[in-house]
Amino acid sequence: MSYPIIELLLTLVEKICVIVVIAYLITRTKYFMEILDKKFTLKNRVILILIFGAVSIFGTYSGIEIFGAFANVQDLGPMIAGLIGGPVIGVGAGLIGGVHRYFLGGFTCVPCSLATVLAGLFGGIVYLLRKGKFIGVPGAVLFAALMETFHMILVLIIARPYSEAVVIVEDFSIPMIFSNSLGMFFFAFIISNLIKERETAEERDKYFDELERKRYELKIAHDIQQSFLPDAIPVLKGFDLAALNLPAKEVGGDFYDFILVSEDKIGVTIADVSGNGVPAALFMALSRTIVRANATRSPGVADVIQDANRLITSDAKSGMFVTLFYAILDLREKTLTYVNAGHNPPVMFKGKTGELIMLKAKGIALGALEDIKLEERKIILNSGDVVVFYTDGVTEAVDDREEQFGEERLFKAIKENHNLSAKDIIEKINEETLSFCGKQPQFDDITLMALKAE
Amino acid sequence: MEIEEKNVDNVAIISLNGRLDAYASNEVERSINALIDKGSVRIVVNFDGVGYISSSGLRVMLASLKRLKKVQGTIKLACLKPYVKEVFDIAGFTQLFEFYEREEEAVNSFKGWEL
Repeated sequence: MSYPIIELLLTLVEKICVIVVIAYLITRTKYFMEILDKKFTLKNRVILILIFGAVSIFGTYSGIEIFGAFANVQDLGPMIAGLIGGPVIGVGAGLIGGVHRYFLGGFTCVPCSLATVLAGLFGGIVYLLRKGKFIGVPGAVLFAALMETFHMILVLIIARPYSEAVVIVEDFSIPMIFSNSLGMFFFAFIISNLIKERETAEERDKYFDELERKRYELKIAHDIQQSFLPDAIPVLKGFDLAALNLPAKEVGGDFYDFILVSEDKIGVTIADVSGNGVPAALFMALSRTIVRANATRSPGVADVIQDANRLITSDAKSGMFVTLFYAILDLREKTLTYVNAGHNPPVMFKGKTGELIMLKAKGIALGALEDIKLEERKIILNSGDVVVFYTDGVTEAVDDREEQFGEERLFKAIKENHNLSAKDIIEKINEETLSFCGKQPQFDDITLMALKAE
Repeated sequence: MEIEEKNVDNVAIISLNGRLDAYASNEVERSINALIDKGSVRIVVNFDGVGYISSSGLRVMLASLKRLKKVQGTIKLACLKPYVKEVFDIAGFTQLFEFYEREEEAVNSFKGWEL
């Protein structure tokens, strides 16, 4: 015994390790979880009583020799049982430990076994006072210290001869209070951590559920929005038409539409609502419906969109607006009469000369001003002419150096592919955009439409 | 997005620095709304540090303008880079806003306004 302090510490660490392992194993059982969740059954009550009763018996035998005195932790099991399971489990475990202690005999057997039962009862009372909520680490340690002090007082009151009781208490009280508090510290620490972990897990599960629900709602919103787009591209005599819409998120603010105005007149529109995501999608639904309703009733162009603008503006809170290009394609005349309400001008490729013409016209995005005047223009479409309509998701697509795809690349793609069908032209342009962006995610909705005169 | 605010001759000036994309637009909208809530009716936005503006950026400017018009105020734009000006142009918004080459010009244009 050359290093008594070190030996003492080693013994203490060993005992603590045992308690930590016991605490860990107990707290991981299904029954312990059920008790934490307040799902009491006869079975889990009995099992916890048996377990913590066993811990109490183990505590009686595994005394720690401190400062020449022998301290035991037989009260620890019932205290914890009471703190986490209430008076029934606490007293149950206390009775097992207490009865066992009683039959070990000795002149302190009555106060010691009584203290063990009371440890479970008091733990249970704390449980009731806290309405079943675990008291936490500092509270549990304080409770253990007070309980052991009370244990010592019981010895003084009950054990006889009194003089020997005094000796016992003088020698034992500090190590008893210390070792039980320390044991309680580790138990309470593990339990507190477990409770926190479970709370975090519960919050996480709730968050994921919520996320899953949102994703599902957006999926439905996506399907509804896609149903707003034309189901099929109309087959037009003398013209080849194709369209493509790729929202950046589940839902987007771009749309295109074909509206049959009369037998040989078809309204063609492409539009882009400011911003993206759900707000843009809602505004898109509104704008698309208003434009369609107005266009179906009138063969006009500027007046149709100006009227639509009035309705859209009255609903355009928080500065929402929509840029829109609207044209009437006359199949007999082979002309395109259009207005441009602040939209990126579509590009017309002249088959004969190979030149590119921007379909610009004086106008302003819809939703900004109540009364607007849109300039109406008319172009003739000759065989081989191609008009490519697009939204800024195409030209503003960026690569990893934040360089934009830009109009020049779009013009080049149109020139190179004008011989293809309308469908292949837009697919080529889309491929070019995608390969330009590389791994950069798509930031904005992309909509492309091509009209080719045959 | 860096947003700087100052006040010259009772005109609130907001200087923007960065890309005015969808995310930055929310920040800018909050700043301008805070100014309007505090009673500012004469606002100049300095676009000197803005190289890119998305439609969300346009929306914020339009929303601010609409709000200010209701209280007899307005928002004026200064120092726009050609690309940014073009975005306003395409949407037709040059009809809605007053544009100035320099911040001081925008501020001075408010002289003679009744508060």
